[in-house]
Amino acid sequence: MEKRAIMLLIILMAVGWAAAPCLAQEKMHVVDNAIFPDTRCSPALFDHDGHNEKAGIDDCGVCHHVYQNGRKSEVETSEDSACVECHALKAGADNPIGLRRAFHLRCIGCHQIGEVGPLMCAECHPRASLH
Amino acid sequence: MIHTLYKLLSGPMMWLAVILFCAGTLYRLWTIFRLVRRKEKFICSYLSLRYSLRSLVHWLTPFASLNMRLNPVMTVVSFAFHICLLFVPLFLLAHIVLWEQAWGIHWWALPDLVADIMSLVVPAACIYFAIRRIRKPEVRYVTGVGDYLLLGLIALPFVTGFYCRMQWPGYGPVMLVHMFSGQVLLATLPFTRLSHMVLMWFTRSYMGSEFGAVRHARDY
Ligand code: HEC
Ligand code: HEC
Ligand code: HEC
Ligand code: HEC
Repeated sequence: MEKRAIMLLIILMAVGWAAAPCLAQEKMHVVDNAIFPDTRCSPALFDHDGHNEKAGIDDCGVCHHVYQNGRKSEVETSEDSACVECHALKAGADNPIGLRRAFHLRCIGCHQIGEVGPLMCAECHPRASLH
Repeated sequence: MIHTLYKLLSGPMMWLAVILFCAGTLYRLWTIFRLVRRKEKFICSYLSLRYSLRSLVHWLTPFASLNMRLNPVMTVVSFAFHICLLFVPLFLLAHIVLWEQAWGIHWWALPDLVADIMSLVVPAACIYFAIRRIRKPEVRYVTGVGDYLLLGLIALPFVTGFYCRMQWPGYGPVMLVHMFSGQVLLATLPFTRLSHMVLMWFTRSYMGSEFGAVRHARDY
């Protein structure tokens, strides 16, 4: 009886261990930087859900915004689009804010105003997680 | 605490340093030109573009002047030093990212490894200059404490910058030292020996013209 319980426990643990990475992949811990050609930094630390919970951000539109007639929409959000879909890598006439700048303005901009959250390069791009 | 100081240094203090640098440079130029106008106005009578450029080109080309050929090691170290000193701050990716963030402007950046090596060339050259000042009697004779302090002040932003780039322990405080030392260097630049960055263009023009147009000789 006891043997069976232990066996069951081991099987459960094994299944859990095997499944863990798949489940974990659902969660975002860094902002993917694959879109940038020849990246120079580690992907920025960003535990998506944990960050927003800790920072008390309920409105997805703070980051996933939509602009209408040059003004930010109060109701619509764009979490189904990556930032790069509107902010191409290179800034230009029809793209006032390049992707790298869009990220930095959004992330560092809020941290600067809020007196909390990282400001310096290595706090978001730690070397240890390079590649 | 570190973030408060970081915001202070990356905002108001940076502006202050740039303004002091510009104002100091204008002040130095103004006082020098006033002095020239009062005492040696005749300089203008033989100031020549051709001889000015001849002198500048010879002094900005490695080994193009006699003095450089007589001191080959000094020449190599000096050119490497000046190139790195000017290029690293202007073409470092991390600096460009900051300008991009603030103003949306950006330009070509040095590759990481090249930037790493160039940042180390500067403190290495400073050590060489210091040893030279100690070892050579004719240089030691014209050296004061200020000269060693200045070499240290030049090396400091590069050493701390490299340290932060490596993200070694103490990254935060070292970054503050990096920013502050760079700002002190910039703000005091017009009033230290480093003012030759701006004044050298005029002194060489003057020497070149005097030697070329008056003495019919070379100043290089
Ligand atoms: C602090 C900013 C921020 C807030 C607030 C935020 N997100 Fe995101 N989210 C991001 C960033 C950055 C990405 C990555 C975008 C990219 O790669 O272009 C992202 C990606 C996503 C993705 C794509 C998932 C993936 O794995 O690629 C979804 C879905 C998403 N967010 C949903 C939401 C929802 C729903 C909310 C509101 C509850 C929300 N986000 C609030 C910053 C934020
Ligand atoms: C559906 C298109 C769209 C998406 C997706 C989008 N943006 Fe924007 N964003 C815009 C437009 C349009 C503007 C206004 C640009 C202008 O000033 O003309 C803008 C402006 C900005 C600005 C400057 C104004 C401000 O709000 O501070 C930042 C920063 C920014 N976006 C960051 C991001 C980030 C980060 C993401 C991804 C999480 C993102 N954007 C996703 C369209 C988009
Ligand atoms: C609307 C404001 C806001 C925006 C936008 C924002 N943050 Fe934050 N961030 C915060 C706040 C507030 C904290 C501090 C949370 C805490 O620890 O209490 C924080 C903390 C962090 C931390 C430290 C987390 C920790 O556990 O200590 C990281 C990393 C971070 N943010 C990354 C990002 C990145 C990357 C982005 C852009 C994709 C971003 N943030 C955008 C407000 C924001
Ligand atoms: C608040 C977090 C944050 C801070 C602080 C920050 N970045 Fe970023 N950075 C990001 C995000 C988010 C991206 C876009 C996604 C990514 O690279 O993971 C990014 C992208 C980049 C990229 C383009 C991608 C690459 O790897 O080449 C560079 C370069 C970069 N950052 C450099 C810097 C430098 C230099 C500093 C300091 C001056 C800095 N960042 C500070 C969040 C941050």
